[in-house]
Amino acid sequence: MSEALLETRAVSKHYQMGATTVVALDGVSVEVREGEFVALQGTSGSGKSTLLNLIGGLDQPTSGEVVFDGRSLAPFSKREMARYRRHAVGMIFQNFNLIPTMTAAENVSLALAFGGVRGRARDERTRALLERVGLAERTAHRPAELSGGEQQRVAIARALANRPRVLLADEPTGNLDSTRAHELLSLLRTMVERDRLTVLMVTHDRELAARFADRTIQMKDGKIEQRMRDEG
Amino acid sequence: MIFFDILKLALRNLREAKLRVALTTIGVVVGVTVIVTMVSFGLGLQRNAVQRFKDLDLFNEITVTGQDVSELVAQVFNRGGQGGGGEGDRRAGVRRTRPQQPEQAPKRALDDAALAEIARIPGVEAVEPTVEFTAYVRANGRTQPQSIGGALVPNPASRFKSYAAGHMISDPTADEVVVDSRFISDFGFAKAADAVGQTVELLAPLGAERNPKQPAAAPQDEQAKQGSKQQRKANEDELSFFGLPLGDDAETNAQDARLTVRTFRIAGVLKDEVESGGVGRQARFRGLMPAARLYIPLATARELSHQYRDPLNEVALQLARESGALSAQQAEGYPSVIVRVNDPDVLTDVRKQLTALGFSSFSIVDELEEIRTFFLIVNSALGLLGGISLLVASFGIANTMIMAILERTREIGIMKAVGAEDREIKLIFFVEAGLIGLAGGIIGSLAAWGIDVVANRLAYRFFLQPRNVSFINFFALPPYLWLGAIAFAIVISIIAALYPAARAARIDPVKALRHD
Ligand SMILES: Nc1ncnc2c1ncn2[C@@H]1O[C@H](COP(=O)(O)OP(=O)(O)O)[C@@H](O)[C@H]1O
Ligand SMILES: [Mg+2]
Repeated sequence: MSEALLETRAVSKHYQMGATTVVALDGVSVEVREGEFVALQGTSGSGKSTLLNLIGGLDQPTSGEVVFDGRSLAPFSKREMARYRRHAVGMIFQNFNLIPTMTAAENVSLALAFGGVRGRARDERTRALLERVGLAERTAHRPAELSGGEQQRVAIARALANRPRVLLADEPTGNLDSTRAHELLSLLRTMVERDRLTVLMVTHDRELAARFADRTIQMKDGKIEQRMRDEG
Repeated sequence: MIFFDILKLALRNLREAKLRVALTTIGVVVGVTVIVTMVSFGLGLQRNAVQRFKDLDLFNEITVTGQDVSELVAQVFNRGGQGGGGEGDRRAGVRRTRPQQPEQAPKRALDDAALAEIARIPGVEAVEPTVEFTAYVRANGRTQPQSIGGALVPNPASRFKSYAAGHMISDPTADEVVVDSRFISDFGFAKAADAVGQTVELLAPLGAERNPKQPAAAPQDEQAKQGSKQQRKANEDELSFFGLPLGDDAETNAQDARLTVRTFRIAGVLKDEVESGGVGRQARFRGLMPAARLYIPLATARELSHQYRDPLNEVALQLARESGALSAQQAEGYPSVIVRVNDPDVLTDVRKQLTALGFSSFSIVDELEEIRTFFLIVNSALGLLGGISLLVASFGIANTMIMAILERTREIGIMKAVGAEDREIKLIFFVEAGLIGLAGGIIGSLAAWGIDVVANRLAYRFFLQPRNVSFINFFALPPYLWLGAIAFAIVISIIAALYPAARAARIDPVKALRHD
């Protein structure tokens, strides 16, 4: 229990839609240990993105709590929450969410700027990050001039800019063909193995989940359906 | 995130929406231009007014009034009566209308002893008694009644500093005269320079000079100008009684043997600009000194003024002597003197001493506070007009910012996801608005400066130059005005961004980042 880097304890999220209450999450408890690559699977609308956003500190649960490295996020102020998003976790999305008017380098540099890195150190770290995701030659390109796979790599570089311990990925391969998807997940796998990065990834694709993740968490109607442990 | 990064982000955001930002900025430019132009005009008016006061020595001169003979008489003969002499006595006196009546009636006459006493007050630089009378003046073949004043020679006041031609009277005993520009036109000189060196004759009745103590009638006293027709009629009757050839054909009889003539040489022609206190040619004061067409050395003027004394005044003097209020040796006092101090700061102290000595005094500084208040109101009203246009511009800024939020919702969501604090999101918006305010403020101030320059040129070209008036800067553009306007534009812009910034900071990143 205590070794878990990331934990949700009976987390629920309700959305009020006029008179009706939508239960997006209903008492979800999961644990992810440091250096694990965990896949989150489930049908559309089962609450995967909602869970990821709660763990990523973009939203607060209706009840229950998210615990990171033994500390509950529940008492965090808005400011502490922003710090948490900045330094503890990095997020990537299906649609990449890069700022279209900024180059690859500028997108990465922006995250570093919010992390308080300045001047030459920032430039150097930006280059190193883009090199790490194999985009050393593409730093001056805007998102529109990059392929989907390349854009997602920029997003990864940005997510990892301030050295978070966890990468939260919401269907990162959703807009990629299978070759690019394989390449991208290999990259993540390498980072998990080499840098002890922890990855929690939402995906539709059973095959990809089985191939790259250590284990898969199955969700249905806002609840955990079953835990599957692949190799180990 | 450091401020420099916020600034870079804000500049980038502004560049992304160039046209909209430009249009918004124009709104601010217009507001600032109106404010700065309006207020610079108001400040210009104020500066020019104050400068004019300085030019006229109004900040370092005091008018001091003493008891005159008519008041002395009123005191003696109406003792025990109800409230001293009536208004009639006052009107009969030699006193002329002053810019302001002193609050306190003087208790002493301004005789030579009093003048010496005043001169000893610390800070007093010069004491110049006011002497004036009206006499028939002949010059350039014309003869007209003209007002004549006495001037201290040499004279420290700026009212005798600038000349259209020639210079000040050379020494206190010289038979020299300085004239004003109205004299030049009245006596048909083509230009000021033509008059310099020319002869001016003051005409007096024959008896007057031989026996100065006897009643001598001025051909036409200034009192007649102010007084009723009846009084004028009375004067004319008297004049004919004394056998003076007066009237429409005065010029033709100029060589009459029964007139004495005192001759002066024109030393200089005063510049018009030093006159004040009236509209156009009707100037009644030269600084604090009553305006005259001609000025002659003080002692000469004093002597002549006794010859030209009007009968009413002569009666008052005789009454005063008979009653013993004025001894035979005692000369009557001057109606007023102008006291010049060497530093405007000591003016108040000098006035206190003058009051202690029993004189009344007046200085324009009394009015200064009211003048300041007046200009404060004028400038505020002008500034308010500009303020309103800037207020209108602020709605444009708010609108632009709200549009920007709608466009940049996702971007703001991304920034929050990578760890931007609400504070930082707000700051980006404030800096953007502040930059619009700064740009609008700078361009607006430059535009106002341009308008000032162009308006001055136009005013000079089409208004001043045709009237032979030298260039006047109608505007004042002190740094605090345009710096203040820029700061004001920035503040207004930031206030306009308060709501949009708060709304931007409230954006829910989950909603902003949802991909459909
Ligand atoms: N902001 C919201 N308001 C109302 N309902 C929402 C909101 N966000 C998510 N939901 C609902 O919650 C459920 C879970 O959504 P989501 O987590 O996006 O599912 P998934 O990512 O697994 O497809 C869905 O039924 C969705 O309609
Ligand atoms: Mg989803």
